[in-house]
Amino acid sequence: MRRSPAVGAMVVAAALLVSACGGGGGSSSSSSSSSASSSSASTSAGSSGSGGSTSSGGSTTTAGGDTGGGAAPSGSIVVETAFQLKTADPARMFEPTGLLIDHALYDTLLTFKGGDVKTPVPDLAESYTASKDGTTFTFKLRQDAVFSDGSPVTSADVVFSLQRVANIKGNPSFLMAGITVSAPDAHTVVLTSKTPNPAIPYIVPNSALGIVNSKAVKAAGGTDAAGADTADKAENALNSASAGSGPYTLTSYSTTSQVVLTANPKYWGTKPKYEKIVIRNVQANVQKLDVLKNAAQIAVDLSPAQAQGVSNVQVVSGASPNVFFLFSNNNSAVSKVTSNKDFQEAVRYGIDYDGLVKLAGTGAVQAAGIIPSTFVGSLAEGSGVKRDVDRAKAALARSGLGNPTVTLSYPSDIQVNGLNFGDLASRVQQNLKDVGITVMLAGQSVSTALDAYRAGKNQLGLWEWGPDFPDPSDYLNFLPGQLVGLRAGWAKGADPALEALGTKAGTTLDTAARTTLYQQIQTSMNQSGPIMPLLQPAQILVAANSVKNVQSNALWLVNLSELQ
Amino acid sequence: MSSSSPLEAPAAPASPPAPARRRARPGRQRLGRFLLKRIAAGLLLCVGITLVSFLLTQLVPGDPVTANLGQQASADPAAVAAFRHQYGLDRPVPVQYLVYLGNVLHGDFGMSQQSHRPVSTDLAEYIPATMELALFAIVVSIVIGVPLGILAAVYRDRWVDQVLRVVSLAGVSMPTFWIALLAFYLLFFKLGVLPGGGRLDPTETPPTHTTGFYTVDALLHGQWSLLGSALLHLVLPGLVLATYTVGMLLRFTRASVLEILGLDYVRAARAKGLPERVVVLRHVLRPALISIITVAGVAFGSLLSGTVLVESIFSWPGLGQYAYNSAKNLDLPAIMGVSVVVAVVYIVINLLVDVLYGVIDPRIRLS
Repeated sequence: MRRSPAVGAMVVAAALLVSACGGGGGSSSSSSSSSASSSSASTSAGSSGSGGSTSSGGSTTTAGGDTGGGAAPSGSIVVETAFQLKTADPARMFEPTGLLIDHALYDTLLTFKGGDVKTPVPDLAESYTASKDGTTFTFKLRQDAVFSDGSPVTSADVVFSLQRVANIKGNPSFLMAGITVSAPDAHTVVLTSKTPNPAIPYIVPNSALGIVNSKAVKAAGGTDAAGADTADKAENALNSASAGSGPYTLTSYSTTSQVVLTANPKYWGTKPKYEKIVIRNVQANVQKLDVLKNAAQIAVDLSPAQAQGVSNVQVVSGASPNVFFLFSNNNSAVSKVTSNKDFQEAVRYGIDYDGLVKLAGTGAVQAAGIIPSTFVGSLAEGSGVKRDVDRAKAALARSGLGNPTVTLSYPSDIQVNGLNFGDLASRVQQNLKDVGITVMLAGQSVSTALDAYRAGKNQLGLWEWGPDFPDPSDYLNFLPGQLVGLRAGWAKGADPALEALGTKAGTTLDTAARTTLYQQIQTSMNQSGPIMPLLQPAQILVAANSVKNVQSNALWLVNLSELQ
Repeated sequence: MSSSSPLEAPAAPASPPAPARRRARPGRQRLGRFLLKRIAAGLLLCVGITLVSFLLTQLVPGDPVTANLGQQASADPAAVAAFRHQYGLDRPVPVQYLVYLGNVLHGDFGMSQQSHRPVSTDLAEYIPATMELALFAIVVSIVIGVPLGILAAVYRDRWVDQVLRVVSLAGVSMPTFWIALLAFYLLFFKLGVLPGGGRLDPTETPPTHTTGFYTVDALLHGQWSLLGSALLHLVLPGLVLATYTVGMLLRFTRASVLEILGLDYVRAARAKGLPERVVVLRHVLRPALISIITVAGVAFGSLLSGTVLVESIFSWPGLGQYAYNSAKNLDLPAIMGVSVVVAVVYIVINLLVDVLYGVIDPRIRLS
């Protein structure tokens, strides 16, 4: 017994030695097996950019996708992000980290390549047609796609997956609102919308609509029937092992530490380069050190300030699809001041948009309209509202409100793309002081602040909207009587002309026509109304130079299977 | 963070502990009764904690539905109803509490809204991670803090004492998150002598699960490389956590030893010509341990329940991060689960400390 401390010490010392010799401390990046490149996928038929024109008249996408080319995956890569993750079950998942992970695990009918979210391209569906009235979308499935257990992907799996999303009544269920799905044959799927829905090709690439292996999920207690919200028991199983046909499979899963993906040996498309991807939950400032130290290869959450001055790594920077906006509540029951049209104009022209963009850092841009610059229907850069203090003061004088005092509500404990709401709120306060408006800042914890915001009780509100899907119709929520419009006290009937434009835009199929309509809507919103788009912050990816083809994506941050 | 102040530690005895007499059997019975009483009181306390936690979570402004459902889902009555039903939020508040209490008695802490898993499963994963880190930190703290405290007392007001005073004050004064960032930057990023965050390197697979303590599991299964990695990953966050407790233990040990050094029986021992080493280690340290153990117990409790920032900086998937995320998401079952765990931890630690009093000083056991 007396020798045991010494023995213990020897064991510990030996273990430390073994660990040290094993090169602990940082993950190994992939050995550069450069032969594994997309170029070897010689059988692919124009995957990028070949996808669907969504113009009316029964348009058809061309065939695309890849057919299992590429060298065998090798090596590993570590991707770090501050987790926003609750589940890996696509039917229940709608958090940023979940979208990133599930995109690698589950194929969808259509998808997006790289950072382009304007053009849906084939994935499990090799083509699709849209009916002239925009209510029926028919997808032809490719016949060589298989799940990770080797079984073929059929239309029954698609129907099961999409109906399950709808009937679980979880966070992503709204994506299937008003849409029914059917399968006329084993390789055809039809999505039918109650109303014309040109957004469907932009909705189906969402990772939440990933296609699961229906047999495996049913065996794990899953169901797509009505009542799935209580009857479906497959979530635990899907958090342990994925049941998709994507380029990766789930090896381990934790909502707080890390998720490990391993290349799917039966993947039907171009093989990904990396055999193993570790996605770690790490806060932003540590991500930076890890990437610089090569303990991680990609950092997802750095702010422009954090990314500034880094060397020997690549910085991929662009405008985020998240839009910060301000609203002046249009409901006079909430505030007689903020509902005043002249006051709203004073706020609109009192804000120093350029100053806010500068505050947000390199890569941020002014939101010319409420639709992000990378989406169909966005306004041209530079066409947004410009500060005009004299005009703002004149408007305030016309309002007859004197020098009013209003309260600005915002979530004080969160950042979006590294940008603090509190910093923006302070700047808005300063800007409006120049006009003669006193702003009282009322930052609250997001879980508390959301209640008043969603109940439409903020006088002034500073909030952000991240896209549910990259289609301009998602932004019809900002119109009178709609989700965000109501939060800003903008009731149905408040602007009939604008609402009519919204209705028309929401049902127009022709891309050029709908682009024009959405631009008209935004131009109108920039002239009057309670909602003022402020800026799109920078979305930054910092990656080791050894990793190629790092592209930021509005939906899933970065496409893991495209990394080279 | 502590439930009881170290200042409430029992006063050191005025004379060295008397040798244990041959009254072991009645003493053992008393100890048994004492333990039973304390356990019963602890259980009642736990029920009280659940009630207080539950009431507080009801008073917090904010709705779990809003905190957990997205923009679109929270506007969908069907999704909201499904969420409320799934988590029992559609029942009257008193019923919610009684159902919760009944379930807890069966070991069911409910489902976490943030992880979509049973809270008990989450706790089983996160408690060992934090426990391992806290144990490492408290062992380091005791091994460093107590000897240095004795040294400071013995060399009172000399340069050794002055230096240690600065060291201990720095330890208890510097914010832990700042030390954590500094240590991470220096020891991991600049010097590269220690690994960064996590319990293992990202590409390593955790050892076969037995206890959830990676070091223990790796040892049990002979996974030596993982044992080394797990130990190395403990060092940085463990040392950061220990900076505060080393300082605290050093100060309390010094004060406690100084108090004993001034007593008559110590003077008598010195007058008898005993070497100073013998006086300190044999006649001073044991009575001083009463205060030291009290402080160490409280420190260990605070390490288990107050490691949020260190866990966050070192990407340590422990109870602190879980508690923080629970609060942020208004995840009521998880908040309740963590509250009960923290309460149980303090109860058990205080019980152990009380038992140790008796081991150190038989008079306490007999009384």
